[in-house]
Amino acid sequence: MNIALFSDIHANLPALQAFFKDVDARKPDAIYCLGDLVGYNVWPNEVINEIKNRRIPTIAGNYDFGIARMSNECGCAYKTDHEKNNGNASIAFTNAIMQDAERAYLRTLPAHIKIELQLNEDQLNILLVHGSPRKINEYLFEDREEKSMLRIMQDADADILCFGHTHKPYHRILNSGVDGQNHFRHAINIGSVGKPKDNNPQGGYVMLTINENSSVLNKDSIQVNFIRFNYDVEAAAKAVEESPLPNEFADMLRNGA
Amino acid sequence: MNFPEDLKYSKEHVWLRINNNVGTIGITDFAQSELGEMVYVDLPNVGVSFEENQVFGSAEALKTVSDLFMPIQGKVIETNKKLLQTPTLINNDPYGEGWMLKIELTTLAEFENLFTAEQYKRNINQ
Repeated sequence: MNIALFSDIHANLPALQAFFKDVDARKPDAIYCLGDLVGYNVWPNEVINEIKNRRIPTIAGNYDFGIARMSNECGCAYKTDHEKNNGNASIAFTNAIMQDAERAYLRTLPAHIKIELQLNEDQLNILLVHGSPRKINEYLFEDREEKSMLRIMQDADADILCFGHTHKPYHRILNSGVDGQNHFRHAINIGSVGKPKDNNPQGGYVMLTINENSSVLNKDSIQVNFIRFNYDVEAAAKAVEESPLPNEFADMLRNGA
Repeated sequence: MNFPEDLKYSKEHVWLRINNNVGTIGITDFAQSELGEMVYVDLPNVGVSFEENQVFGSAEALKTVSDLFMPIQGKVIETNKKLLQTPTLINNDPYGEGWMLKIELTTLAEFENLFTAEQYKRNINQ
């Protein structure tokens, strides 16, 4: 079974359309969206409608959660005043152009989706979250201490934890087995479709492959492919520059920053 | 930013309040503000003994994780259970409700290595 996982579109319609073109050609068995549909670009309503019309199971990201409630707080944990000011401009703009039906859709999005596979003697639980299982806006970067990452996954009973939010994709395999018995857990950051931050401006998503022999006992029995696709970055960047949004967001798209 | 005069401070941004032979420990206002919103605090079990400067736990904030260093030798006699439910007590009240450990002091000698509020403020350029 091939499961496509994507997130962090951030109102970037050209990137979303290019993603659909790429993913459709690969014919996955299922597609899930891990949130943050809106913010930082000019097409939040269009992005919501594309995803809604395709009936893709979707969870809320921190930005969706904030905009759904007409909040002026997106949970983005900006560090500097400059970042905060740019962030506030994006929240105000998104709140101003968001239409009622689309906002109502964001409001109904769930926090998590759990998929419990029953393949062998053992269970294999896939948990889809936006930031972390315990916090919608927690940043699980690749350098997270192993002890902390394992605790987060064990507390959530997740063998395969899939998340976004940092816009920096990675796959880590951790072994929580005891007494010589392996229990491999997979932490998968699926990257970002519309606002990548790993110095590659291409959009990104993950194809997770599970087969009938997939198990926590064999770390290679679960495959994670990071897929990158081209899209019209310039169209998305220009749209930012022609809007009230800070122009810096445009260069971030051009640079994948 | 607030640094109560009656506390001792370590260079690792931990404060210590002494009451007879019991020390109460937490992180400073400066530390919580640098780390940001707390998500989880990993604290040791009661009964465990630590040396000065030994890691006794970690503070997990939204964007970063930081080890916590013991300001003085001692044995843990209580941990703040409220932090399990509400770790943001550390952000909202770092010297009060946000305390982390109570320890039984085994020596007072290391006191000399700790800062006064004034010295700590200078150390962090406040």
